[in-house]
Amino acid sequence: METKNIKSWNDELNVCIRCAYCFEGCPVFKVTGWETDTARGKIILAYGMLTGDLEPSQYIADKLFQCTYCRDCSERCSANVPVVDVLAAARADIVEAGFASDTHKGMAKNVKATGNIFGDKEIKAPVQQGEIPVYIGCQYLARPNQTKMYLKILEKLGVKPLVKDEICCGYPLYALGFRKELAEHKKKFLEIFPEKEIVALCPTCAAYIHEEYGKDVKHITQSILEHLPEKNLGLKATYHDPCDLSRVMGITEEPREILKKLGIEIVEMPKNRKTSHCCGGGGGILMSDVNLSDDIAILRIKQAIETGAPLLITPCPTCEQVLKKAATVVNEKGNGTIQVKNLSDIVWKALRS
Amino acid sequence: MKIDLEKLKGIVGQDNIKNDIADLYVYGSDSSVHNALASVVVRPTTIEQVQAIVRYANAELIPVVARGSGSGMSGQAVPIDGGIVLDFKNMNRIIEIRPADMLCKVEAGLVDDDLNRALKPYGLFYPPLPASSRVATIGGEIANNASGIRSVKYGATRDSVLGMKVVLANGDLVNLGSNTKVEASGYQIDRLMVGSEGTLGIIVEATLLLKPIPKFRCIGRASFDKLEDAGEAISEIIASGASPSMLELMDNIAITAVNTTLNMGLPDVEAIVMFEADGKVKEAVDAEINFMKEICEKHSGSDIETSYDLKERTKLFAGRKKLFAALSRYKEGLSCTSLADDMAVPYSKMAECASKIHEIAKRNNVVMTAYGHCGSGCMHTKILMDPTKKEQWEGAKRAVDEVYDYVRSVGGTTSAEHGIGLSKAPAWKKEKADSLAIIKAIKKALDPNNILNPHKIQDAPDDWITATKLRYPVE
Repeated sequence: METKNIKSWNDELNVCIRCAYCFEGCPVFKVTGWETDTARGKIILAYGMLTGDLEPSQYIADKLFQCTYCRDCSERCSANVPVVDVLAAARADIVEAGFASDTHKGMAKNVKATGNIFGDKEIKAPVQQGEIPVYIGCQYLARPNQTKMYLKILEKLGVKPLVKDEICCGYPLYALGFRKELAEHKKKFLEIFPEKEIVALCPTCAAYIHEEYGKDVKHITQSILEHLPEKNLGLKATYHDPCDLSRVMGITEEPREILKKLGIEIVEMPKNRKTSHCCGGGGGILMSDVNLSDDIAILRIKQAIETGAPLLITPCPTCEQVLKKAATVVNEKGNGTIQVKNLSDIVWKALRS
Repeated sequence: MKIDLEKLKGIVGQDNIKNDIADLYVYGSDSSVHNALASVVVRPTTIEQVQAIVRYANAELIPVVARGSGSGMSGQAVPIDGGIVLDFKNMNRIIEIRPADMLCKVEAGLVDDDLNRALKPYGLFYPPLPASSRVATIGGEIANNASGIRSVKYGATRDSVLGMKVVLANGDLVNLGSNTKVEASGYQIDRLMVGSEGTLGIIVEATLLLKPIPKFRCIGRASFDKLEDAGEAISEIIASGASPSMLELMDNIAITAVNTTLNMGLPDVEAIVMFEADGKVKEAVDAEINFMKEICEKHSGSDIETSYDLKERTKLFAGRKKLFAALSRYKEGLSCTSLADDMAVPYSKMAECASKIHEIAKRNNVVMTAYGHCGSGCMHTKILMDPTKKEQWEGAKRAVDEVYDYVRSVGGTTSAEHGIGLSKAPAWKKEKADSLAIIKAIKKALDPNNILNPHKIQDAPDDWITATKLRYPVE
């Protein structure tokens, strides 16, 4: 097996001291309890493929793809190993070795054919003229009402969003190991977005555009906070930090400031901000292992229910989706109730009041 | 080695067994330089299941290696002969907490920090506190007699274990120790089990002694232009009757590492000493801190800062806490290997030991730092080297030999808290040369078929480099 991508991370594989500190917060490990599912386990698998101790297999591919890319491991790593980058390289090599799942291959084809992950030509950005380039992202584009709400919020706050006929940011191609396709796709993306400064709606797109394209990316919560007037909704809620927003972008306070400005009492879950527990929706497992994703989401929603807050608010469409589903499951089993809402719903409600 | 997977599935269920080569490869590694392949990984959930597995293994002469989180640094959990790896992560219950008796009973797979989180509402804590407490399991800590920064006051794991349930090599279950702090004469087999690294029995449950969480905690940090002065200060603090709850040393390489890689801004001196006192009465803590501060001053310690404030304490200790990460990033191309990582020497030899380590490193063309829980005589180092180069391993081997030759020459011991396993076994066997026969007899008596973590400690190969495949690809 050719391991050109893993090879470029050879030094980092040696730097990993295998201390196991990454076990502590790994959402996949919390569900399965097997070491192979931890960051250390996956790093060792990558190492095994690099040294030739391990031949690539479907089993190893499945293990490498059982990760939400939440970066809790990177946050706790005692040797500061960029685990997700190493893992993404291992995924790329095993995909090139022919072990991509049909679902993932389908998604890569969708992006190429339609510009979005769903392969739906009807999913289009609501193109409009404006001053500030706003990137919507596939997940929000598939939720036109929420997209509209965010754009209206910006307009109401005096920001004039410039919305283009955008395409996927390319993150799914990166995360799922489609490097050749990604290289082509990135060129197209940059043709559409040559600007240095972008406001992004989706936390994952925001983080990726910032890291991969080196752009100055503002998350929409930062833009909203700059212009938001004070209101008093008189609600009590817990806030779920999307991993890409908190751990990658370091944006933890702005969404909380928004909620406070709107008169919402925040009851924190013990795992918050940079130690936030993943929702289970990232890294592609929502497509490749929905049961695992569901189980992780249930762990998180239980933490939210334990706060006693009737409402969970998050600005990420994927977190919202999986946590809503988890809340329904937990509720149906009689293990507590909590409502899950996107931040846009709350801000829009406040601005309309 | 033929293992009847159906038999094992019958004991723990299909969902608790892994035997894909990928899993075996992962479970063949820990935080040491070693790597070997397990034959199967089995995850029991009850004591009865452990008994059944061990009975089967004993009858078929299959090695059994107990495993917590695999965070050991000496290869203790590396299955050198293959066989069954017993993964204890599913036996992680707290059985009971008895505040009135200052004890708790837990399963072996419970993570240390999870226990301490559960104890907090009772105002109690379990003291050993190894640096790896976030992932280390109680069973693993007992098997390795782990300790940490507070061992100077609260002792090592052995001082906090009252008793345990152990599955013997023939599958029998025995209750060892008691529920009391003291136990007089008679062979105290529980004490023998602590630090036996899974070679004498499989610890499945433990009774642990708890301590009240101190109301006040104050930390101090002093800089020393000369390493010897720091060593003398440490020695005098201990000899003076002071009661530090932490007494740590960092040498200049450690200081440089955290400053250059993490921009910590620590003073560029030969050594830093960190000291701490805790207790129920503030005046008493004040007195302890001032006493230690004065001793540091007497030995030319400067820039001394002290604080009770949690944020300030965290800041003062940050350099030490981040040291591990800093050493991993000391210089591009160098990896931080767990070799000669742990030893204990008499207090009066702490500074000399640090100097010797520097000398040895230079001579053998590797980088070594010196830091540790000096309050308990514990010195740590790491060998920073290019692990892909054969000559670096040769240098590392010489360095390890020379470090432990020195440690023995001053009456020190091979491991303070990281265990013996494979990589420290050659040095340990030299240290314990005159008692090896007794040690081997004990092993034979308790594990006549040599199935429990075989070829470790006294039975480990004499050359740690060839004991297993190294986890690094050496050119």
